[in-house]
Amino acid sequence: MTSFKSTVVAAFAVLLAFATVVPSTPASADSAALSIVPKKTYTIEPGKSVDDKLTIRNLDGEEPLNLTLRVVDFTFLDDGGTPKLFLAADAPQTTWSLRPFLEVPEQVSIPPRGSKTLDMKVAIPGYQGAGSYYSAIVYSSGAPEGGNVGLSASGVTLVFTSVPGQVKENLKLEKFGAYDVQTKKYSFITTKEPLNMAFRLKNSGNVTESPTGSITLRDMFGHERLIEDVNPNQSLALIGQTRTFYSCIKLKAEEVDFNGARSESRTCVSGGLWPGYYKATLNLLYGQNGNNTEEIVSTASFWYLPLWFIIAVIVLLLVVTYYVRKAITFVQTKTGRRTKIKRPSRRT
Amino acid sequence: MHHRLVRFHEFLFAQRHLWPEELIALLLAVLFLAAPVTEAKRFQDRSLYMQSSEPGVTTSYKVSFSYMSPNPVGSLDMQFCIDPIPYHPCVAPPGIDVSDAILTGQTGESSFTILSQTANRIILTRSPTMGISQASSYNFEGIVNPTDNGQAFSIRLKSHASGDASGAQIDFGSVRGQVASGIVIETQVPPMLVFCVAEEVSENCTTTNDNYYVDMGQLNPSTTLTAQSQMAVGTNASGGFAITANGTPLSAGTNVIDGMTTPSASTPGKNQFGINLVANTVPDIGIDPEGTWANAVASPDYGVPDFYKFVPGDVVAFSPNVSLMKKFTVSYIINSSPELRAGIYTTTISYIASGRF
Repeated sequence: MTSFKSTVVAAFAVLLAFATVVPSTPASADSAALSIVPKKTYTIEPGKSVDDKLTIRNLDGEEPLNLTLRVVDFTFLDDGGTPKLFLAADAPQTTWSLRPFLEVPEQVSIPPRGSKTLDMKVAIPGYQGAGSYYSAIVYSSGAPEGGNVGLSASGVTLVFTSVPGQVKENLKLEKFGAYDVQTKKYSFITTKEPLNMAFRLKNSGNVTESPTGSITLRDMFGHERLIEDVNPNQSLALIGQTRTFYSCIKLKAEEVDFNGARSESRTCVSGGLWPGYYKATLNLLYGQNGNNTEEIVSTASFWYLPLWFIIAVIVLLLVVTYYVRKAITFVQTKTGRRTKIKRPSRRT
Repeated sequence: MHHRLVRFHEFLFAQRHLWPEELIALLLAVLFLAAPVTEAKRFQDRSLYMQSSEPGVTTSYKVSFSYMSPNPVGSLDMQFCIDPIPYHPCVAPPGIDVSDAILTGQTGESSFTILSQTANRIILTRSPTMGISQASSYNFEGIVNPTDNGQAFSIRLKSHASGDASGAQIDFGSVRGQVASGIVIETQVPPMLVFCVAEEVSENCTTTNDNYYVDMGQLNPSTTLTAQSQMAVGTNASGGFAITANGTPLSAGTNVIDGMTTPSASTPGKNQFGINLVANTVPDIGIDPEGTWANAVASPDYGVPDFYKFVPGDVVAFSPNVSLMKKFTVSYIINSSPELRAGIYTTTISYIASGRF
């Protein structure tokens, strides 16, 4: 009986599921192709304000771009530079929020292939303490109508503001060494040529930090190579974040054309490391204007032993062992310490 | 001559029971007393205050630190370089000019005057005076700030016994500074982030089919419903970009088809909703990312063929640095169990492209 009931219920459910009809109402035809500024950075003293512009472009040639703007808080997603946005309408305000001080329009409509420049303002009250404050401006295209899965495109501008003064700065080095960006792992012995050196810093202060400095890499024979800038992108460790900064052992920079403008692209290429032992020395400096310059010094080491090198060493050892044994046998035979053993003849 | 050598040898032999102890004592004295006096130490509590941090403006600097060695100091060398490490070659920060700087005040170890100055170096001098470990500061006016707000700079500090910054250094250390503007003026073109989403888009976002919903047909426990959408993205920002997929799982009233929380294969007959950004064979759907630029990639969890996932807020594609335009095709799958309640299951997925910090 139970089985019969289950079968009926299941059949009914499947029947209704089959009966699901996708609405054929026309979708919103607004554009969802936009160009925005990804990041804004300001230094504003308490009691002062900055008026700036936000330029948004509609890349669609046929439909207008209607955007809703709102300011949300964000933090870090992981040990990288991806923001975790607090999109919920009731999300609590963070202690580093710039929301109370940031003014942007709520709506904007941009004609096809057009652009608009919006006024924005960051005003820091006179009572505001020194530190770093940041939030994000989210530009959302309209939600579509129809279908099972609707698509919506949003862009984000991250806004960072530094309020100068005496701040609490505290970076602690947690890890330093050769690093594989793909696997996100540090290695002490590696068969694959390391392309990156990385260090992980825990930020326990009340400001974002962007350390600068260099890494000196020394091989077994004392040859040195210098990684001049360990933070070429001026990456930030947000408040409370443990951030991994990595830099190329050898950097290749090239000019590229991006939407009609020249930009510099940087990629890591082989540094031509020879197999062997390497020692790296990290020298880091950080500190806001008017605050103490703090220094972090650390050393790390790694072995680069590619497979071809390991095989070559093993083959070499086998050859050497073979010839040494042969030489010993030869000497022993010559000196009479060893006599050749005559094998018994097979013929009887 | 031979006679003298014999006498010297006799003398040494007679004193043989004494000299090892004396020699050891002498070595100890050198190691424990002489060495610390001559060893260079780092200045402590180092800081730089720039009255204005606007790029290229003429302003005043206050350099503060504490001397650590009690040796007589006759000169102080201040070199403005990008790299703070004292033994590395010094590259002057673009735009810096301290050649007209004036020393307007000093506290702690004082009585210095400017001996010489170039665009990126100032040497202060005084009669060598026995130092006392104390906080000191030096105020300069008429310094032209560096112009590049894209990188920090440093002032390498060294104290010397000589009056002209020659000879061995006594203490050393660096202070860090950076120009920043109320409104940052980029040295190259302004960073921009280009992003578009639709059922079909061109790689440079200039054309889309202006369709923003995906019809997946009727749910069926024995088949997988599939659909595709596309998005293109690119940025010249040095930090790169990240795209997150946001939204709620497919639902009809209170009935929900949950997203796949771990990358999993499509299994008809089981409630599943997932996406990925690569070409698949089961089911046959999707296209690998298009575009020659290698920096932009699908996230590992969304980049394995035939494995699907959907967790709201996940990063589905990213680039760690500058990336020319790249097009991603998003594949959607829905599977339903026979027990799934009837209804119109819908959701809106908002793809959010942001810069990275």
